[in-house]
Amino acid sequence: MANGNTLSVTVSPHIHSREKVSNAMRDVLIALIPVTAVAIGFFRWDAVINIAVCMATAALTEVVARLIARKKITLNDYSALLTGLFLALLLPPATNWWAGVIGTVIAVGIAKELLGGLGRNYFNPALFGRVSLILLSTWYVWIGGGGFKGTINGVTSATPLFYLKSGATGVRPGYLSLFLGNPGGSLSEVSILAVLVGAAYLFYRKVITWEIPAAIIVSAFVLSAILGMDPLYSILAGGLMFGAFFMATDWVTSPSGRNAQLVYGLCIGILVVLIRKFTAAPEGVAYAILIMNAFTPLLDRVLLPKKFGAVREST
Amino acid sequence: MGKLKTFKGGIHPEYNKELSSSKAIRPAPIPERLIVPLSQHVGAPCDPIVSAGERVELGQKVGHSEAYVSAYVHSPVTGVVEEIVSRKNFAGQTVTCVVIAADKEQADFPKRSGFALESFTGEQIREIARDAGLVGMGGAAFPTHVKLSPPKDKPVDTVIINACECEPFLTCDYRLMIERADDLISGALMLKKAVGAERVIIGVEANKQDAADILKSKASGTPEVSVELIEVKYPQGAEKMLIYALTGRKVPPGKLPSEVGCLVQNVGTAVALFEAVAWGKPLYERVVTVTGPGINEPANLLVRVGTPISVLIDACGGYSREAPGKLIMGGPMTGWAQEDASTPVVKGTSGVVVLGKEAGAVVEESECVSCGKCIIACPMMLTPNLIVRSAKRGQWDRAKEFGALDCFECGCCSFECPAYIPHIKYVRRAKSMLATATK
Ligand code: SF4
Ligand code: SF4
Repeated sequence: MANGNTLSVTVSPHIHSREKVSNAMRDVLIALIPVTAVAIGFFRWDAVINIAVCMATAALTEVVARLIARKKITLNDYSALLTGLFLALLLPPATNWWAGVIGTVIAVGIAKELLGGLGRNYFNPALFGRVSLILLSTWYVWIGGGGFKGTINGVTSATPLFYLKSGATGVRPGYLSLFLGNPGGSLSEVSILAVLVGAAYLFYRKVITWEIPAAIIVSAFVLSAILGMDPLYSILAGGLMFGAFFMATDWVTSPSGRNAQLVYGLCIGILVVLIRKFTAAPEGVAYAILIMNAFTPLLDRVLLPKKFGAVREST
Repeated sequence: MGKLKTFKGGIHPEYNKELSSSKAIRPAPIPERLIVPLSQHVGAPCDPIVSAGERVELGQKVGHSEAYVSAYVHSPVTGVVEEIVSRKNFAGQTVTCVVIAADKEQADFPKRSGFALESFTGEQIREIARDAGLVGMGGAAFPTHVKLSPPKDKPVDTVIINACECEPFLTCDYRLMIERADDLISGALMLKKAVGAERVIIGVEANKQDAADILKSKASGTPEVSVELIEVKYPQGAEKMLIYALTGRKVPPGKLPSEVGCLVQNVGTAVALFEAVAWGKPLYERVVTVTGPGINEPANLLVRVGTPISVLIDACGGYSREAPGKLIMGGPMTGWAQEDASTPVVKGTSGVVVLGKEAGAVVEESECVSCGKCIIACPMMLTPNLIVRSAKRGQWDRAKEFGALDCFECGCCSFECPAYIPHIKYVRRAKSMLATATK
């Protein structure tokens, strides 16, 4: 500063909780350790390779995108690494490694950086990448390459969701096996217990609050029951728990106000069940969250908290 | 102990009160030259009624205004007016100041004695408050006589003494509660009489249990005065939060406490009113907590208005490090960072807080990540993130809808914000844009 003045003159407040965006991102990485460990335990090298490839691609994509845009490299906020890990966890274990690369480039390059970087993205980058891959694979079967629907480790191609939809109960995995560990679907869908352990850490670190996950789980449970689907199975299968605690709570793409969060969660829960019931899409959770991402700005603006002392909404 | 009363939202910063809480109030040295701003309050500035070369007595009025919402200014010393100048005040506004050279010998203020509250009417107390130049001493510095004259159709039944001192680091009110408990209670009873209220509630944060005990025992013979412990949380001392915690009444947005029959005054103001009524002493000095990790010997000093803060820093053993990072007038949550230590103390200065290098390091604000922490923290239930977004886009009406005008700048939002967004900067911009828009 001029004239050797070292005093900093900024607007109040002058003290801070010292929490940083990067701390929170790091917390989410930590919270993903149980899920990741279980995935690796079940799928071994398939999981290791997917995770490594996606995370490396994510970091590289972010650096390149930022260099092109002449912006500061922000790898140290961990958000790119996190997107990479998330995407890997959303993929089935037998996915070709280069499909992971394509998905990650789309996630970090397009869904995040092209829109201006962390904070400006409208869609959850990892989900965006995941869904892009699904859409691409239906057009170009070679991207799927047998990866999405292939058989691995002797488990049939039918994911637990298949049983939910068909109503066949004879051979489906039991509740307990879904809870503790059952390889089917994507890496993150293996163990509900692992998801809950991670989620507990996120609550403890105050990265997430209860509103969104609770609204999703409750609404999915209730609507499933109404539509005659097994409600408990409905919330335990198909990555709903992982989506509710880890994906739908993504800061940037979910509403920031409590009322808006409740409505957002409610709509996701409803959409998940409707998609599962009436379409053939296996990724109901991903679609539901992405659809609601689009409504986040609107929900936040319309469902404002009631101001202190306000009798009714003014104007 | 049951659950203590409080409000929704708010934050739990580190309080750091122990640095100075055990230090008894002692007088600060009187500097050779004092710079006395003629606008130390909310409302119309005073005009000087003395000129260069004129002798002034301790407590003599030097600034006057005919405007109702204003507060007279009195000489903090006996001495000679050197000059009338314009200079920046603690908040960066240019104000007229009377510069006074203090005499070497300073006599004590000639206190009036033989005080009896019965001999004063409410009307007289309000008059005295005005003549003594009283303002709210918690920081906002709103003229006291104006607050003591609520609208006729809004009778005040409850006087609340704000004894929370919820700002971290500050202990000046705490020391007054311990050392001047009797005077504080007398002052509270004067406030009660001035507005014709039925009761006085002294709201103390639970981290000042000892002060609350002293007040309780002193007030034991006065049934209309009660002392209540409330939860330790910032900003528990904000008017609306305090009223809500103590009475369950909610002041509507844009309204004053009289709307719900309350008057809130802080500890320092109540003691100052006592001194004005009982002793005839105008407000020309106050207790200032000089503290922080950057100061050698934290202290609670009785300081004459107009004393440059450099004098206080010297009186506290100077800076404890090579270079302090931040010099704050007021508390760390709502105070003002100073460019240098030449700024004079005013009636609303509750503290001088010196923070170290880390606090001085400016963390660049990054993009809002929509985490919602600011919303959870906001005691007014606003959406600080959306106020900022609207302000950045120049959508002032929207900023208003999200609560820009309801924000009382407590700083909870920025304290919690992981993106280090200075919400108050944007709130102030929105407020001034909206103010010019309605003109
Ligand atoms: S918006 Fe205003 S009132 Fe709300 S927390 Fe921020 S500074 Fe305080
Ligand atoms: S706390 Fe900061 S980052 Fe979080 S929503 Fe508020 S403004 Fe945005």
